[in-house]
Amino acid sequence: MTDTTPQKSVLKRVAAVPSLLGGAPQWVKVPLILLVLSFCVYLPFLNILPFAYIRTDLRPNGSDWSTVLFTIALYMIVAVGLNVVIGWAGLLDLGYVGFYAVGAYSIALFGSPASPVTKAIAAQFGLPEGWSMAFAACIPLAICIALIAGVILGAPTLRLRGDYLAIVTMGFGEIIRIVMRNSTWTGGPAGIIAVPEPPAADEDFFNTIDVHRWYWLALAVLVILIWLMRRLEHSRVGRAWLAIREDEDAAAVMGVNAFKYKLWAFAIGASLGAIAGLLFASKQAYVEPNGFQLNLSFLFVAMVVIGGSGNIWGALFGAFLITYLPERFREFESWRPLAFGVALVAIMVLRPQGLFPNRRRARELEDRKHEAEEAAADA
Amino acid sequence: MDFTNLIEGLAGFTVDGLTKGSIYALVALGYTLVYGVLRLINFAHSEVFMVGAWTVLGVYTAVGAHSGVGVWLAIGITLLAGLVAALVSAGTALVVERVAYRPLRNKNAPPLIVLITAIGCSLVLVEIFGHALRVFFGAPFGRSAVNIPTVVPTREVFTIGNFNMSNIDLIVILAAVGMMVALDLFVNKSRLGRGVRAVAQDPDTASLMGVNKNNVIMLVFIIGGVAAGLAALLHTMKYDFAKFDMGFLIGIKAFTAAVLGGIGNLRGALVGGLLLGVCEVYSSALISSNWEDVTAFVILVVVLMFRPTGILGESLGKARA
Amino acid sequence: MRRNTLFAAGALTLAVALTASACGTVETGGGGGGGTEGECAIKVGVMGALSGANAGIVIPSVNGAKLALKEYQETDPECAVELIEFDTEGDPAKATPVATQMSTDESFLGVIGGAFSGETRATKAIFDDSGLTMISQSATATDLTQEEPADVFHRVVGHDLVQGTAIANYVGETLGASKVFVVDDSTAYGEPLAGKIKEILGDKVAATDKTQEKQTDFSAVVGKIKGAQPDAVVYAGYAAEAGPFLKQLRDAGVTVPFVGGDGLYGVDFPKAAGEAAEGAIVTCPCVPVEGTFAEDYEAEFGEAAGAYAGEGYDAMNIFLEAFAAGNTTREDVEAFVDAYEGEGLTKTYKFDEVGDVDQANVTVWSYKVEGGVLVPDQEIKQ
Repeated sequence: MTDTTPQKSVLKRVAAVPSLLGGAPQWVKVPLILLVLSFCVYLPFLNILPFAYIRTDLRPNGSDWSTVLFTIALYMIVAVGLNVVIGWAGLLDLGYVGFYAVGAYSIALFGSPASPVTKAIAAQFGLPEGWSMAFAACIPLAICIALIAGVILGAPTLRLRGDYLAIVTMGFGEIIRIVMRNSTWTGGPAGIIAVPEPPAADEDFFNTIDVHRWYWLALAVLVILIWLMRRLEHSRVGRAWLAIREDEDAAAVMGVNAFKYKLWAFAIGASLGAIAGLLFASKQAYVEPNGFQLNLSFLFVAMVVIGGSGNIWGALFGAFLITYLPERFREFESWRPLAFGVALVAIMVLRPQGLFPNRRRARELEDRKHEAEEAAADA
Repeated sequence: MDFTNLIEGLAGFTVDGLTKGSIYALVALGYTLVYGVLRLINFAHSEVFMVGAWTVLGVYTAVGAHSGVGVWLAIGITLLAGLVAALVSAGTALVVERVAYRPLRNKNAPPLIVLITAIGCSLVLVEIFGHALRVFFGAPFGRSAVNIPTVVPTREVFTIGNFNMSNIDLIVILAAVGMMVALDLFVNKSRLGRGVRAVAQDPDTASLMGVNKNNVIMLVFIIGGVAAGLAALLHTMKYDFAKFDMGFLIGIKAFTAAVLGGIGNLRGALVGGLLLGVCEVYSSALISSNWEDVTAFVILVVVLMFRPTGILGESLGKARA
Repeated sequence: MRRNTLFAAGALTLAVALTASACGTVETGGGGGGGTEGECAIKVGVMGALSGANAGIVIPSVNGAKLALKEYQETDPECAVELIEFDTEGDPAKATPVATQMSTDESFLGVIGGAFSGETRATKAIFDDSGLTMISQSATATDLTQEEPADVFHRVVGHDLVQGTAIANYVGETLGASKVFVVDDSTAYGEPLAGKIKEILGDKVAATDKTQEKQTDFSAVVGKIKGAQPDAVVYAGYAAEAGPFLKQLRDAGVTVPFVGGDGLYGVDFPKAAGEAAEGAIVTCPCVPVEGTFAEDYEAEFGEAAGAYAGEGYDAMNIFLEAFAAGNTTREDVEAFVDAYEGEGLTKTYKFDEVGDVDQANVTVWSYKVEGGVLVPDQEIKQ
C-alpha cells in the first residue's frame, strides 16, 4: 500500500467520507440523504446563531441570501453537467457558457411574448398578439436545441487534440454570444424581456420577492439531475467514458467507439447546461448577451477542476465554494478576481486532483508524477 | 456586404490589416514557440504583452517623454523603451514559467491542469495591474485605460491616389518582419537554436545528446517574452494606451494566428498573424467591426477542422534535410 | 473502526449544534427597522457602476445624491436617512440580487437607479413587485417607460428619443451637415440611440457602421469614413471606445466635426482621445450646473461636478422631501413621488403616468471639448 503512515491528513479523511457513506447500509444512507435535503430546504430560513453567520445578507449591502442560494444551486447544475464533459469524458471544454446561453435564449425566444421569434410565428400563423409557447413546451425544446448544438460543436472538433479542443470550444462560446448580440432576431444587445416563470397553481407563485421558491425549484432539478447522472456514471456509457479517458487506443481495441461516446458526453453536458440556463433566464425574466461572457466559462471549469473533476460531489463542492465565497466576502469585492486567480494557481500546482478527487483521477495523477520522477532520476 | 467600399479602399484596408496582423504575429511567436517545445498553450503570454505596454509607459514617464521631442530623441526614447519592455516581458515570462509551469512539468501534470494554471496566472497578472497595484500605488494603475504620450507622431510617408501610408504602420510591419527574419535565422542557424529544435522534436533524446532541457525552455520563454515586449512597444506606438485587460483578446487572436500558420512554425506565426489581421479588417469593412471576433474564431475552427497542421504545416520539431 | 468514529463525531456535532442554538437567533433580512415607536431609520439605496471603466458616468450622480443628503442632515431632521451604495458594475446580472436585497429589506424606502438602462430593465420588475420607488438619474433607454412601464419607475432625465432627436437636429441644422456617418457600439444604449438619430436624419445619413465594446482598433471604420467623406461623424456609445476611435480618426486625417451622446460625457473621453478631442461635441440631457451647487460639489468632492450630478441631487431631494413630509412607508412614498410637482436644480418636475418627466421640460445640451475639458456649448432646440 502506498499509504503506510497511520496518521491520515484531515483532507484525506474528509474526502473519504462520501465513499464511506456510499458503502453504508440503506438504513443509514436514506435518512442521511433526507436529513441533508431537509437542511438544504430549510437554508433560506436559517437564522440560528452561530450557523447564521454563513448567510450573506447580514450587512445592509450584502446579497440577498435566497438569491445566493439559488445561484449556488444553479451553478451546481452547471458543474454536474460540465463534470460529465471534463471529468468523465476527459474533454477540455472552455466554452460551456455557450450551452448555458442556448438554454436561456431558447426559453426567451420561444416563451416570451416580447421576443422577435414568437412575434414572427404569431404573425405567420395568425395567432393572437402576446402569444408565446407554454413554459412546459419550452423545456424539451431547449434541451433539443442544446443537444443539436452539442452535436454541431462536437462533431467536427472532437477528433482534435485536447488543447485545441479547449480553444475551439472557447471560440464557439464566444461565437454564440456575439451572434446573439449582433442579430436582430435575438433581440440584439438589448436582449429579451418578459421571459416566463414556471407554471404553478397560484399564478404569482414564482415572483421576484419569494426567491426561496426559485431556490427550491433549482434544488429539486439539481437532485433529479444528480440522480440521473449517477445512474449514467454506473452504466455502460459511464464505463465507456472511463475506458476512453484511461487509454483511448485500448478502449478502441475493446470495441468502444470513442467518438460516439465523446459526442454523447458533449450532448449530455450541453443539455444540462441548457437546463441551468433556462432556470436562470426564467428567474431573471430577462436575457441579454452580456450575461454570457467568456469569464463565466472559466469560472465553470474552475468549479469542476478545483472541486475534483470526475467526482460529482467534488464538482458540487467546487460550485458551492466558487459561488458562495465571493458573495460572503463582498466587502473585498475588488480583490475577488485576484484571490480567485491565486487560488486557482495554488490549487492546480499543489493539489491538481482537486479538493475532492475522483479516486481514479487522483491515482492517474500520482502515476504520472511517479513517471516524471523516474524519468528525471534516469536523466 | 459592402463590396464596393472594400474594393475602393482596398489598399488602405490591406495595410491596416497588415499592421494589426504584425502585432498578432509578434505575440504569436511566443505562443508558437512555447507550444512547439512544451505542448502548452501559454495563456499568460497575453499578460506578458500587457506588462510590456506598462513598461513602455513607465520608461516614457521616467524619461519625461512627450509629443514634442525632436526626431533623434524620439527614436532614442522609443528604442530604449523597446529594450526595457523586452527585458521586463521576458522576465515576467520567466517568473510565470518558474512559479507555475515548472512544478507542473516536474509532476508530469496532464494538459488540462496546466491549461487551467495558465488561465489562473493570466488572471493574477491582469488583476495585479487592474487592482493590486492601484491599491498600493494609485494611478495610473486601475481599470481604466491610461494614455501613453505619442512620442513618434503619425505622419504620412507616401500617398498613392486616395491611399496614404503612415509612418507608424510602416514601422510596425517592418519591425515585425525584421524580428521574424532574425528569429528564423537564430533558430535555424545557431547552436542554441538547434537546441530548441532538438527539444521540440524529442526532449529526452535531446537531453541524452547533452542539451539542457530546462535551459532551452527558459530560452524559449525569453524569446517569446522579448517578442511580446516588442509587440507591446509597437502597439503603444500605434494606439497610445495601456490597459489592464488589453492582452486578453490580442492573446486569443495571436494564438489563432499561430494555429493558422502552423503551430510550432515561426514563419507560420508571421504568415498566420498577417493573414488574420487582413481577414479581420476585410470582414469589418465588408460587414462591420462587431463581427470581427467571430471572423477570427470561425477561421480558427475552419483551420482546425480542415487543416489542423496549419497553412505552413511543419512544426518546430520536424527535422530538416 | 473508522465508521464508528465517524458516527461518534457526527453525533457530537449534532449535540454541539443543538446547544449552540440556544445562543439565539439573528435578525435576518438586514434588520427590518422603520416605523415603530416614531423612530425611523430610513435607507435609500443607490445602485450603479461604482467601479470599472464606465464608473465616471455614475459616480458624479451618486456624489450629487450624497450632497443632497448632507444638506438635509444639516437641517437636523426627525428621521435619519442613510444612503446605501451598491456597486453593480452596470451589469444586469449583478444588479438583480442587489435589487432583491433592497426589496426584501423593509427599511429601504427608495432607490436611486439604475444608472444604466440594462440594469434598470432587469430590475424594474423586482422593485415593482415590492413597491419600492425608483427614481433613475441617468437611465435613458426609451423602452423603460414606453414599453412595459412599471408603477414604481420614475426618471428625472429625458429618454433617448429626445436625445436622439436633439443630436440629429444639432448635426443637421446647427452644424449644417448633409452627409452624416453614424456609428453605434452595439450596446443596449448605443444601438437604439443611433437608430433614432438615423430615423430623424433620414436622407442625410451617408453611411452607418457598428463597433463593439472593448474595441481598440478602429481602422476599418475609419477607412469606411474616409471612403464616404461625410460632413460629420456621430458616435452613439461610451467613452471607453469613443476616445481611441476619435484619436484614430484624426490620425487618419479626417477633420470633420465629431458628435457623441451622453455616454461620452465625463473626464474619460477627453483624456482618452487626447489632443484629438479638441472641438468634439458631446450632448447630454443633463443641464450644466453652476452657481452654489457647483461650488458646494467641488468643495465637497474636490472635482468639478460631472455627468448627471445635478440629476442625482434632484432625485435624492425628491425622496428627502417625501421623508420630511412624514412618509415612512413605501406606499406613501410612492404616492408622494407620483404626485410630486416641484422645481429642481435641473428642471421642473412632474412625473406622468409612466414615470417620465414632461419631455417639453427636458433640455439637451451640447458640450464642447476645449482644452481637454467639457464646457457647455448651447442648448439644443428640439
